Amino acid sequence: MNEMYLNGFYGLEGDVSPEELAAFIPPQRLRRIEKLGKNVLYCACRACTQAGADIQTPKTWGLSVAADAGSLESTCKFMDTIIEDGDELSSPTAFASSVHNSTGLMLSMFLHLSGPCVTSGQFDFSFAAAWLSAAQFLRRGMCEQALVAVAEDVNPVAADQAPAQAEQFKPVLRTPQGPFARRAAAFVLSQRPTEHTLFCLRRFAFARTEKPIALSPQQTNLSGAQRLAACLKAKQPFAFTDAFADAYMQLEGTPYVN
Amino acid sequence: MPAPKVTVAGMGCWCACGQTAPDCLEGALAGRAQFGLPAGRVDSTYAASYPVFMAPIPPHPQQQSVSLAFFLAAAHEAFSQAGLDPAALAGKRVGVIVGTSVDASFHCFDVYKHWRNHTYTAQDSQELAHYFASSTAQSVSRYFHFSGPFQTIVTACASGTDAVGLGKSWIDSGLCDAVLCGGTDEINLIPYDGFIRLLIASKDKCRPFSKNRNGINIGEGAAALLLVSDALSREFRLTPCGYVLGYGNACDGYHPTAPDPQAKGLQKAIAFALQEADLQAQDLAFVNAHGTASQANDAAEAVAFTHLLPGVPVWGSKGVTGHTLGAAGAIEAVLTLCALNRRIVPPTIGFEQEDETLGFAPTCRPMGLTRRAAISDSLAFGGCNAAVVLGAADYE
Repeated sequence: MNEMYLNGFYGLEGDVSPEELAAFIPPQRLRRIEKLGKNVLYCACRACTQAGADIQTPKTWGLSVAADAGSLESTCKFMDTIIEDGDELSSPTAFASSVHNSTGLMLSMFLHLSGPCVTSGQFDFSFAAAWLSAAQFLRRGMCEQALVAVAEDVNPVAADQAPAQAEQFKPVLRTPQGPFARRAAAFVLSQRPTEHTLFCLRRFAFARTEKPIALSPQQTNLSGAQRLAACLKAKQPFAFTDAFADAYMQLEGTPYVN
Repeated sequence: MPAPKVTVAGMGCWCACGQTAPDCLEGALAGRAQFGLPAGRVDSTYAASYPVFMAPIPPHPQQQSVSLAFFLAAAHEAFSQAGLDPAALAGKRVGVIVGTSVDASFHCFDVYKHWRNHTYTAQDSQELAHYFASSTAQSVSRYFHFSGPFQTIVTACASGTDAVGLGKSWIDSGLCDAVLCGGTDEINLIPYDGFIRLLIASKDKCRPFSKNRNGINIGEGAAALLLVSDALSREFRLTPCGYVLGYGNACDGYHPTAPDPQAKGLQKAIAFALQEADLQAQDLAFVNAHGTASQANDAAEAVAFTHLLPGVPVWGSKGVTGHTLGAAGAIEAVLTLCALNRRIVPPTIGFEQEDETLGFAPTCRPMGLTRRAAISDSLAFGGCNAAVVLGAADYE
């Protein structure tokens, strides 16, 4: 894959506070947005601002969302209404919010994005797939900059049951013993350097492999997007690897000097 | 900027109107499909009144989802048509990219209900573990022992079209030697109840682009396309069954469940796909529309078609497939290629009465065609729009 440039990034573990998000978006516009959406919106606002973009200005940027397993808060809310009230009184609003790319819609509306948009949902490797799509958008000339937005929700059943059955869930969950937390991240990429470019990215690989790559226990406690955001904070050349089960993602970069 | 065409070496389809790609086209031509109430498939009070398009479920192991079983059936047909054993691709960079909605959602209603009601059992735990292990594209890649990238696209109803378009991108960027792409979805309580509660499902058979259209019918099934690089095509002496010529995608940022009435995003997606294919509207034999038969969708598409594709025949195929959600774009891409290769556009099954406000009537009877390219578009909840331009096997 050709060189790409990173112009902004932000990672968040846990939930954003109303005060922090209010610095970017008036609270009254956020009434119907669930926690996951607020978290990723906050990260996207921070990353866009770092990349020198005005939130309110229309942008033809691409948007590639890593939706993990989708909005579990809304999905569970919809199922709750079926269980409690029956099919005929189940909540259409919860259903609409449970659709994976409702996050993409929310970001495109608040950040005024009108470029290509794709959402990827494959648990741990949603982030790698989203990164790949953003790179493809840029390479094809579909947009000049692309936002990779990562939204990771907590599955309440897994959070409750997996710690007690960690061995059973070990092959399919990175941290069956916990901690389970909502996480979000955002990265702004471009095909060419801008005056705000922070890193030049030189090598990206994402594949399934018959020879699994092992990470240290410390590395597996965070998701790939969180670890990359932490790695970028160091402002040093980096060679990043994320791996779980039979797949991996690798990325190399160096700080960019104008 | 024009981009190189990408070869489709094989394709397969499994849905309510047929269980092979040629059979599906025959179903579309004859208006033949398995349509009825989903009793036994969905435990909903609506199951007595809202019909669906159902596909027969292929035999599959318990830990495999129905969606995965549908996709593997279509994928095997694609490899068979290409005359290629998947094992022969060992050592090649083979990617998998699959669009879906249900298969990538937390669709384990019974597990969730048992957990909430404190009746959770070891069997629920096992089902939950299967759910976490069943990431669609990764499971397909694992099944065939491929070692390339994999991506499960969940851009709602545009997912299948995005999978085909991005699959093209993976080939023409040199990322992969081959890409198995497509879409799959199954009938499930969550979208079934959800669409009904949003008041966009119909109790009748859907009527795409009709003045009296009153909503969608959920469907299920899968389609798979095997895309290959020129080098791989030469090495294995593959015979093209079509080409992916262009792909475009743009979002509306308009509304959670309704398309932009001005169809700005869709127009942008269609224009980009045509530009990449280096074609104009007059080069197209037909457009395979998203045509869900909801008032808002068909009206938005009509705006885009009258602006960008004036005079191009419009075919809607959901009257024989139902709305297969994440699979729809892929099924429609395969039907489009089959129709181009047979040099015939099927009628829009379900169409009854012209809607003068749309500015056109869709195909009403089978029509012969001479042009060798067509376009297929999709619109999705969340305001995502995608389009692919496809070329016949003899496309020059």
